[in-house]
Amino acid sequence: MAAIEVINLVKQYGQRTALGGVSFSVEEGETFGYLGPNGAGKTTTIRILTGMTQATSGTARILSHDIRTDTIRAKRHLGVVPETSNVYDDLPAWDNLIFNAELYGVPAHARNAAAQRLLDLFDLSDRKDDKVRGFSKGMKRRLTIAMGLVNDPKVLFLDEPTSGLDIQSNLIIRDVIRDLSDRGVTVFLTTHNIEEANVTCKRVAIINHGRIAAIDAPERLKSTFESVKSLEVGLGRITPADLAALRSLPLVNDLVQEGDKVRLLTHDPIRVLDEVQNYTGTHGIPVLSVSTLGPSLEDVFIRITGVGRRAKEVQASD
Amino acid sequence: MTENDGLPAHIVSDLRAAWAIARKDIKIYYVKPNIIVAGILFPLFMFLAFATGRDAPAEVLLPGLIAITALFSSSTIEPVSIPIERRMKTFDRFLVAPISLDAIVLGESLSGFVYSVAIGFIPFLAGYLLFGAISDNFAAFVAGLCLTSLCFAVMGTLFASYPTESPGDIMSMVNLVRLPLMFISGIFIPFDQMPAWAQVVGLFSPLSYAADLIRYSYTGATRFGVASDIVVIGGFIIAFHLVSRELYRRFND
Repeated sequence: MAAIEVINLVKQYGQRTALGGVSFSVEEGETFGYLGPNGAGKTTTIRILTGMTQATSGTARILSHDIRTDTIRAKRHLGVVPETSNVYDDLPAWDNLIFNAELYGVPAHARNAAAQRLLDLFDLSDRKDDKVRGFSKGMKRRLTIAMGLVNDPKVLFLDEPTSGLDIQSNLIIRDVIRDLSDRGVTVFLTTHNIEEANVTCKRVAIINHGRIAAIDAPERLKSTFESVKSLEVGLGRITPADLAALRSLPLVNDLVQEGDKVRLLTHDPIRVLDEVQNYTGTHGIPVLSVSTLGPSLEDVFIRITGVGRRAKEVQASD
Repeated sequence: MTENDGLPAHIVSDLRAAWAIARKDIKIYYVKPNIIVAGILFPLFMFLAFATGRDAPAEVLLPGLIAITALFSSSTIEPVSIPIERRMKTFDRFLVAPISLDAIVLGESLSGFVYSVAIGFIPFLAGYLLFGAISDNFAAFVAGLCLTSLCFAVMGTLFASYPTESPGDIMSMVNLVRLPLMFISGIFIPFDQMPAWAQVVGLFSPLSYAADLIRYSYTGATRFGVASDIVVIGGFIIAFHLVSRELYRRFND
């Protein structure tokens, strides 16, 4: 049985089409990434799947329950962690958890146990009686995710779970996602951190302009874009003039500077390596390291969606 | 958002969720300064401005004070809390929870109801302690206060359905209705001394029936009859609730 089943979902806002016939399914226990640039339709999809809004047409089911006609039963299986850490600042962490448990009808005897377990899991036990107003961004994020798990959901929607967080919070949250997957919880992950999706998700879908542009396992997606290989070269000195010259080398499609390294995108890294050696030798630039790379999931994303590399960092919040 | 699942367990679950929402509001919003000003001080000073210098017994003045206190205190919580929750995105928690829109509307209204009933007893006790004025029919007083509080709490929830993140936007709209209601509902000017057109308009004000019921509990006099008061206020409560539910459904789509 599919945990999430979406068939030809359409959402119109007046004349604007937010979703133009989206279809996919997510198996039980699968961690599924949902990627796309701003305005692609990610948020609209999530709003429909979590019962916040209705599709104009099409069908969406959560564990066989139609979200439109069997809304309450479908929602009982869901945990929802939105992009914004929507906790009550004026309530203690404990009260936030208990309130959410009450909204989900968690029985009284199970509420306290679940709240305590989650506070321990997210390393918030020592602050459980403190008002959330004084929490750091990472602590609020952890509490938001804990609130999404308080009803022990079978399907968890996670929207940008680790965006802008400190390392401790990041590690805790990634461990929790891995543990949920091991326990058979279906995770629907929306993130702009494509590397996170690459290492976390069994499959990813890339949505663009309200339509699914690609859907597959990360490695399979990457293999369909073998032409987007790259040569990564560590250089002892990089000037703007060097960058311009390297970018204009034959067979180089694009160049990305990453610290003291440059990454040259090409379909033929070996021939580009010859060109780079010629250039660096002629100009006396020390070469510190060389490696060839296959296409990353980010390369695939950029190729499919057409977003610019400089713009990709701001493609997060849709 | 749709509702379904007509199981009794679902109704119980909705009622529990509604009470959880109300308790949360009680913890967070009751002591907010704008709630205290708009819900308690504003009606009190407005009434004092009217009553000062009037030579009328406390039994005549108190029902009006209690009615407008209930009107303002009950219809102030949601117009403040719901826009704030929209801004903080905590309102989304209700929308994704396995509860109906009825539970959300009821929960929000309950917090205004509880606040108003508690505040409504302050002039009741003050009238007794300071002037020895006491309700002759305590059951009618409680019924009047409770129905008035619930009616205007649901009205506050209805206005708060307007999709804004600014409490000021909602409060402006609510005041546009609350202030005229006081003048056409027999609070400051007895019904039979109002112009004929105002008497007709006053028939469509729930505050007319609320004030009549509370006045009956003090003086035994009623213009519309106790049963009529209760039925009409009950009708307004149901109508406000149904319209609220529909507006929240539309505005959240």
